[in-house]
Amino acid sequence: MATAVVARPVARPQARARDEEVLVWPDLVFVEFIAAMVFTITLFFLSVVINAPLLDQANADVTPNPSKAPWYLLNLQELLLHMNPAMAGIIIPTVWLIILGAFPYFDRETDGQGAWFSTEGSVKITIVAGIVGFVGTWLLILWDSGKIAFLLHDWFKWSGGDQLRFLENVRSMQSQLPWPDWSRDITYLPFNLRILDGSGSGGPTTFQHLDFPGWLVEQAIPIVALMGLPCMMIYIMWRMGWVVNRRDALLALFSGFVTAYGVLTLTGTAFRGQGQELVFPWELKVSEGIPGQEPGH
Amino acid sequence: MAVESPTKPTIADKIYDKMFHNYVWKSIFRTGYPNTPRNQMLVVATNVFLHLHPTRIHRTHVKITHTYCLGGLSFFMFLGLTVTGILLMFYYVPSVDRAYLDMQNITTTVQFGQLMRNLHRWMAHAMVILVFLHMMRVFYTGAYKPPREFNWIVGVILLVLTFLLSFTGYLLPWDQLAFWAITVGTNIAGSAPVLGPKTRFWLLGGFEVGPQSLIRFYTLHVIGLPLLAAIFMAVHFWRIRRDGGLARPL
Repeated sequence: MATAVVARPVARPQARARDEEVLVWPDLVFVEFIAAMVFTITLFFLSVVINAPLLDQANADVTPNPSKAPWYLLNLQELLLHMNPAMAGIIIPTVWLIILGAFPYFDRETDGQGAWFSTEGSVKITIVAGIVGFVGTWLLILWDSGKIAFLLHDWFKWSGGDQLRFLENVRSMQSQLPWPDWSRDITYLPFNLRILDGSGSGGPTTFQHLDFPGWLVEQAIPIVALMGLPCMMIYIMWRMGWVVNRRDALLALFSGFVTAYGVLTLTGTAFRGQGQELVFPWELKVSEGIPGQEPGH
Repeated sequence: MAVESPTKPTIADKIYDKMFHNYVWKSIFRTGYPNTPRNQMLVVATNVFLHLHPTRIHRTHVKITHTYCLGGLSFFMFLGLTVTGILLMFYYVPSVDRAYLDMQNITTTVQFGQLMRNLHRWMAHAMVILVFLHMMRVFYTGAYKPPREFNWIVGVILLVLTFLLSFTGYLLPWDQLAFWAITVGTNIAGSAPVLGPKTRFWLLGGFEVGPQSLIRFYTLHVIGLPLLAAIFMAVHFWRIRRDGGLARPL
């Protein structure tokens, strides 16, 4: 009898265990009905108690300070404060969504599905990666807003002296280090590649210039941090024997993302006051704004 | 020896019989009352709304802690938002002259207007949160694994569409909150390399938030994006069934 050789396990439809099945009507329909009712009643109650906000009529001449995007975009607005706007606003979310979509093509094992945290060590990985994402994101935000240097100076009377000023936050690496003049103006392209820009400015002989300290601070360091820190976490977990397969690596990555995303959203929503300064939520005030002033980020 | 004789039909039995066993009722609902397993399966299989479900489901999947109903509730929010949204559309004109006045009208003079607006807003927030939590549920139960790879991608697209639906709706009240949130939001879109300024211009219909932006966001919010979301939801639900229902341990 011929046997078929299969290179890798193919997902086959599961055999149905009829005796383990219940009827959708009433067993599932009932649960759905109750869930829908609970939400309907809760949301009606919420709507009676709390009114949706309606401020003054839109006025392009009066900028509120701070001006904020809808809350689910405040994670991106928070990222904008720390790096190049194109990276924070577009490249990072796009790349992350592609990575997210690619999850099932990276982790093709079929075991561990259909039950919560069903693989060995998954709870441990989820909790630890979640804590790492939570604490790590907060530390990075605090460091980049200069709060850690401020605390060190204030509490321990130690600022590191002027030699260490460049460690205050990421931006001071650009401003506090003695960069030679040429490094701020490196010619790197012998022609102008702004074809898609459509602005038509600059001919084929225009040179592109790179501000190396600016590039380092706005792009290189954030990219290294955003890619390196998760990779490092997964690598350490692998060396510790926690992460043993691709599912575990994704568990660590996703759990870290969820808490980092949460911290960024929360910071942007509740901890960013006027001029996007880091403040406590109870110190957060919104001013009517100065006529004619554009919001800066 | 007592002989069992059939009991005489009561008046209630007769009324019940007249109401549910007549020609018109049976033309609408072809199956009988779902009090037998046969009728219970038929009622799911023959009803266009209920037939999103299979007729039977594995025991573990009706436990509330398995899914927390998050996907279903996201869809329920979508339906609720459609209903409240249609009601709001009766009173709202997406022009710079009218929009803010209409909002004031809805919240002050329209019967239940404030309630409808509140419901619409809180449901929108709830939907964003529920869709995100649904994604977490699917991830942590490993339900994205083969053969459900493609449905996970459809889900990611639906997550983005949910964000976009909420974002386009944000501008419509035409108050300071709306105006500046959209200014900041579209500035983020405008920072994209190469295509950013074009995208921003295309979204806003100009270089800054103005009358054209309002009508664009409105059109996207009430018809463009809901249609797109409905198509992807149809694929999403269809694929759940085609891929063998909810994931369960192999």
